Amino acid sequence: MTALLRYQAALLVRSQRWLPPFILYAVFLGVGVQGGQPVLDSLGYTAAALLPVAAWLVRVCVTGEPAAAGHCVAAATGPGRAHLGRLLVALGASAVLGAVATVIVTCLSDPSSSDHQTRVPPLPAGAAGLLAVLACALLGTAVGALTSWPLLRSTGRAVPALLLAALLALVVSGSPARAAVSGLVTGSRSGTVEPPLLPLAGAALLAAAAIATACALTSRR
Amino acid sequence: MMSPMRNALRLENVGRRYGLRGSWVLRDIDLTLAPGELVRVEGTNGTGKSTLLRLLARIDAPTIGHITGRPRTAYVPERFPSALPFTPSGYLTHLGTVHGLTRTAAARAADEWLDRFGAAAHARTPMTRLSKGSSQKVAVAQALLAEPELLVLDEAWTGLDTGARAELERAVAERTAAGGAVVFVDHDPRRLAGVPDATYRVHDGTLERRTEQATTPTGPHVVVEAQGPPGGQLPSVTVMSAEETAPGTYRLSVPASHSDVLLRELLTARPPWHVRGVTRTDAPADHPPAQEDPR
Repeated sequence: MTALLRYQAALLVRSQRWLPPFILYAVFLGVGVQGGQPVLDSLGYTAAALLPVAAWLVRVCVTGEPAAAGHCVAAATGPGRAHLGRLLVALGASAVLGAVATVIVTCLSDPSSSDHQTRVPPLPAGAAGLLAVLACALLGTAVGALTSWPLLRSTGRAVPALLLAALLALVVSGSPARAAVSGLVTGSRSGTVEPPLLPLAGAALLAAAAIATACALTSRR
Repeated sequence: MMSPMRNALRLENVGRRYGLRGSWVLRDIDLTLAPGELVRVEGTNGTGKSTLLRLLARIDAPTIGHITGRPRTAYVPERFPSALPFTPSGYLTHLGTVHGLTRTAAARAADEWLDRFGAAAHARTPMTRLSKGSSQKVAVAQALLAEPELLVLDEAWTGLDTGARAELERAVAERTAAGGAVVFVDHDPRRLAGVPDATYRVHDGTLERRTEQATTPTGPHVVVEAQGPPGGQLPSVTVMSAEETAPGTYRLSVPASHSDVLLRELLTARPPWHVRGVTRTDAPADHPPAQEDPR
């Protein structure tokens, strides 16, 4: 599995197809986050913006490997494991991206509540932000896994489905991503930090189910 | 690495179709691949040969039926993409480790196989800049470098130059001699002519075993004259004909692809054989009727 992850990671890094989603995320943050804003609000935005980016990174990893090259790897490891490698590398990339963004945003933001009255300690805030970012990365990966090969094969259907699913994952009540983000934002009003552990667990479960479904279908379609 | 297949690969009543309402590409396929077996699959275009090979490589799962056995498998696709952001050396090292080699062993095997196929000069060229032929050499090396227990070749010879084509035939001979199974599809009927243990024909989605064996294989042969030690066993390599010219001295004829395997076996036998002469003939007409060496 290590060799597989190393191969997929090298494929992603060297293909430079990671660049557009990274730039999109930087633009999202550039537009939405400014220095001196309340830290938890900014961290909530940082996490929410990562979800569609994580889904796009899955698409990059899944479509980046030519089918025949994928078959060579699938023969060696089994098609399910080969696909698992792609999805885990995408998840890893978005988790790293989100973590770096969280650290930067925490440093730039004002450690206070929304009304700038209560002090919010930056370290717990940053930690809660990391958990929220991870929850969004997981859910974004789930969205990406369910809206690309092997479940949806035509780009014409997969891309709108990805966008719609990413949007829904952010706004539908009960979605772990929404819970994680709104937990940060409501915490910002009162100046309290609540680590979004439950949303993270929910996102992890959903991501595991989505990844398992996608991997199980690789040899069936 | 030279271990024979832990278990044979078996297809039982296998059928495959794409989509829920697609028509059947293959049905009622029964096939067993034993260790060391060389199998040729024939059929006109679009009959499902590639689907069958993907099932054998376990890249595709059957819609119905069962496949049992998990040999370590390597696969050469019909068309290998050059749009990979690696050098051949880098790509092959990655694939070698994916196949279970250590990084050092993978890097060494990568260089060795590129060298064998005459592509060592391109080892550090980005794959996007490779010619179709060099790219195919990478595809073939990828499959061979980890000495798989099952090698699946989908038109692997297409696009290779003459030297590399012969090298691939020799590599196939080595693989089967080491106890690996090899399945191949090739449009050239002379490819490894007379060597396969079985030839199947995909027709109307079903598999027929071809019984009219090519008993008079054409193509270049190598005749080896060797003297065995007292009580020495004839090698187990596929020998086209074996004729005892004098007590203990044999005239062995093998397809050119198998000459290295035969010589290796003779010289590494214990006690070793003495090789008296090696000659290459293009028409094996002056030989007695071919007989498969029983294994």
